[in-house]
Amino acid sequence: MELFTWLETTAVANAIRTIPWIYPTLETAHYIGLALLVGGILLTDLRLLGFAAKLPLKSMLGLLWFVWAGFAINVASGTLIFIYGAAQFSGNPAFRVKMVLMLLAGINAFIFTRAAAGDGERWIASGHVPPAIKLVATASVILWLGVVTAGRWMAYV
Amino acid sequence: MGFLEWLQTTPPALFVAETLWAYPLFETLHTIGMTLLVGALGLVNLRVLGFKRELPVVGTLDFLPLAWLGFTLNLISGLALFSSDAVYFWSSITFRVKLTLILLGGINAFLLGQSVFREARAGYAVAAGPGVRLVAASSLLFWFGAIAAGRLIAYLP
Repeated sequence: MELFTWLETTAVANAIRTIPWIYPTLETAHYIGLALLVGGILLTDLRLLGFAAKLPLKSMLGLLWFVWAGFAINVASGTLIFIYGAAQFSGNPAFRVKMVLMLLAGINAFIFTRAAAGDGERWIASGHVPPAIKLVATASVILWLGVVTAGRWMAYV
Repeated sequence: MGFLEWLQTTPPALFVAETLWAYPLFETLHTIGMTLLVGALGLVNLRVLGFKRELPVVGTLDFLPLAWLGFTLNLISGLALFSSDAVYFWSSITFRVKLTLILLGGINAFLLGQSVFREARAGYAVAAGPGVRLVAASSLLFWFGAIAAGRLIAYLP
């Protein structure tokens, strides 16, 4: 697509291509962000599913800002990496799968946020997580591990 | 012929090196294992450092099996990836830095296991002293350092 070809000619893309340490730094940031984002999400999901029941659910949900920090790091580093190779990445099947899975994971997270804001007060305090929320947590684990998997396969398809 | 030359000609190593899907598969498992290991240990170390005091330390320890699962996954996948190109990996200074950081992270986890985890499991409310906090803080540096070093093997000597 025109847009993607143009992105690769921008000054940002050029800087990433020509300054030797930028690309490895962006990749490293993307992995550290991944550990925060997916690590935090998995722990939260497992707690919702009943693991580590000694931990108050409300306090566990208070850890979600680590997830947001990881997400911010990865949106920033991911966007820059995409700009650098937009034409190639946009046509990559694994990248497309990754984006679809991220979208689904985002919708899933939105459903959880809505549910928590609705009658959440009750089940968050009692720790008795409704089955529907457990389903959302299970979907979250599968979708995020799928995002990681699709990301890793981008270099091979 | 040295050990490393021998290792990379063994059937399992050749399988990883030559099968189209084996290398990316082990890379994916290595990334997922990393998320489990660093996610779980990250939470434990942060709690020992004094974050989220509403979370009982003994409750965070329920996530340690997740860290062990991640470690086992990464030991196996790491050995598979290493064996496929053993001479190259062993010659890499960045790879050796990564191994050293993992060793230091492991020693720190052991030290915490002998002190603060033991107290928490015995039912004490844990208030970590400066020494223990130093161990927890350096653990975070070691594990995130290991992620960075791992990512940079491809770019640095």
